[in-house]
Amino acid sequence: MQMPTARQRRLRTILFWAVPTILLLVPLGTNAYTQFIVNGMLISTLVTLGFTIVIGNLGQLAFANTAFFGIGAYGSAILAAKLGVPWLLTIPIAGVFGAAGGFLASAAALRGIRSYYLAIITLAFGELMRWTYLHARPLTGGTDGLPMPRETLFGVSLTDDTVKFYVFLVVTVLLVKATSNLLASRFGRAVMAVRENEVATASLAIPTSRVILVTFIWSGFVVGCAGALFARHIGHVFPESFGMLHLIASFAMVLVGGLGSVLGAILGAVMLTALPEYLRAFPGMEELFFGLIVAAVLVALPMGLASLLRRISPIFVERFYREAR
Amino acid sequence: MSDLLTVEGLSVRFSGLTALEDVSFELGRGEVRAVIGPNGAGKSTLFNAISGYVTPTSGTVHLNGEPLTVLTPHAIAERGIRRTFQNGGLFPALTVLENVLTGLHAQTEGTFFDILFGRRKALDAEAANIARARDLLKLMSMEHMADTPAGDLSGGQQRIVEIVRTVASDPPVLLLDEPAVGLSPLARDQMMDIIRRLAGEKGVGILLIEHAVELVMAAADKILVMAAGKRIAQGTPAEIRQDRAVLEAYLGHA
Repeated sequence: MQMPTARQRRLRTILFWAVPTILLLVPLGTNAYTQFIVNGMLISTLVTLGFTIVIGNLGQLAFANTAFFGIGAYGSAILAAKLGVPWLLTIPIAGVFGAAGGFLASAAALRGIRSYYLAIITLAFGELMRWTYLHARPLTGGTDGLPMPRETLFGVSLTDDTVKFYVFLVVTVLLVKATSNLLASRFGRAVMAVRENEVATASLAIPTSRVILVTFIWSGFVVGCAGALFARHIGHVFPESFGMLHLIASFAMVLVGGLGSVLGAILGAVMLTALPEYLRAFPGMEELFFGLIVAAVLVALPMGLASLLRRISPIFVERFYREAR
Repeated sequence: MSDLLTVEGLSVRFSGLTALEDVSFELGRGEVRAVIGPNGAGKSTLFNAISGYVTPTSGTVHLNGEPLTVLTPHAIAERGIRRTFQNGGLFPALTVLENVLTGLHAQTEGTFFDILFGRRKALDAEAANIARARDLLKLMSMEHMADTPAGDLSGGQQRIVEIVRTVASDPPVLLLDEPAVGLSPLARDQMMDIIRRLAGEKGVGILLIEHAVELVMAAADKILVMAAGKRIAQGTPAEIRQDRAVLEAYLGHA
């Protein structure tokens, strides 16, 4: 892979800030419906980002991502609806709840549960959380779920989709930037070293357990924040939103975008959120076409849409990003 | 205590099987000590016990008088004992430069939050590490390979990069597990030259597992001979050459 030159790296920094700046104009060109879809893309970007760093960069088959998402959504909903916590605060607190979920998932990995065993135990964790949302009725509302309050903070209420868009955009940009800082640092390199050879990583005085723990916690934080946004996005949290379907959809976004790539998380989330909307033109064939298109992308680009952009220009080569060998 | 590394009565038993039995030796600054012995003699177990990958059943390891026996591998590496692996310990998807950079990870300034917020401190530390890693590669004439994925290197080049990565942090003790295996005769000579230079110029104490006897005889100051988990002889290459027990157990009954 050709590495970007200093000039191309500068160009990339400009691009990184130019894209969200241009996105500020999006509400000018949307209607109520398309604005809702775009807001969903921002949430999916964070969900995919948190997922991809665990299964792509760290290389752990952990599928607790939807659990982190649900914990964030329900956590923020309970805080806002039952305790009257202002909406701005519920977002980082939901992140902390998600991070606690990440801590639990990492505990399994750190006890030596790996590979398929980690996959099944983290899937069980997700289902257990869904069961909890259904049965902890006084707190979660059971099957009826929890409606979100329409409170105002500093004159801003998270009810209008344009207002939500700006809030979601700021949260998404901050978390994408922080995650890409992390992955482009010695920490990100250590994460990949653990994926490549955990035993050798420890021999370099790198605390591998802490690397695994922190990666899961950061993943949980990002996805937990996304959960808080999702609760506001829908205006109501239901247990069904946090089941297998959501997990599989996020997994597809990770793969379509490109395993372990920040750019890929964005591309995968945007494409797979938009695709079903376009496929509405083919009633009855939507699922079939969706599946065919996802399969076609993965056959043509096994390392996802991000690999296509990397081929076009080294600007898109992510610092220290490497495909697993 | 003038010795750098002191190993005393080290034993490792795995459910009834004794892999290592009562092994003792010392390693001084700038000393190259070879560990030889037939397959199954316990050489790799000795390395794993010193570097924390296997918990010794009994015995102690001290570095500069500080006990290391109960520490985890990364803590032992942090104290200054670094090792290579018999089957190669490089990260194949990472480039040569990135592999060397992982060797500098532990002594880099900057917290997790410095990294997260992209603070100057963390970025400067990274830039300084990159400069140092490039210098190290230059010393081994490997700088032209800096951006090549380590998995694409030849076996010999991989061994050299692994040693560069291991010495990047200036460790006082180095454990090299068969650094010359699979190398061409020319590359072997280079490897032995590198090992002698590390000991002679930087004063690194080196413990070396190697099968090629003529190489060991040329490069080592002292030789530790093992068989069936025990130390059967120890001495200079000249002494070992004439040791009856060694001739019988290791060099064969020829």
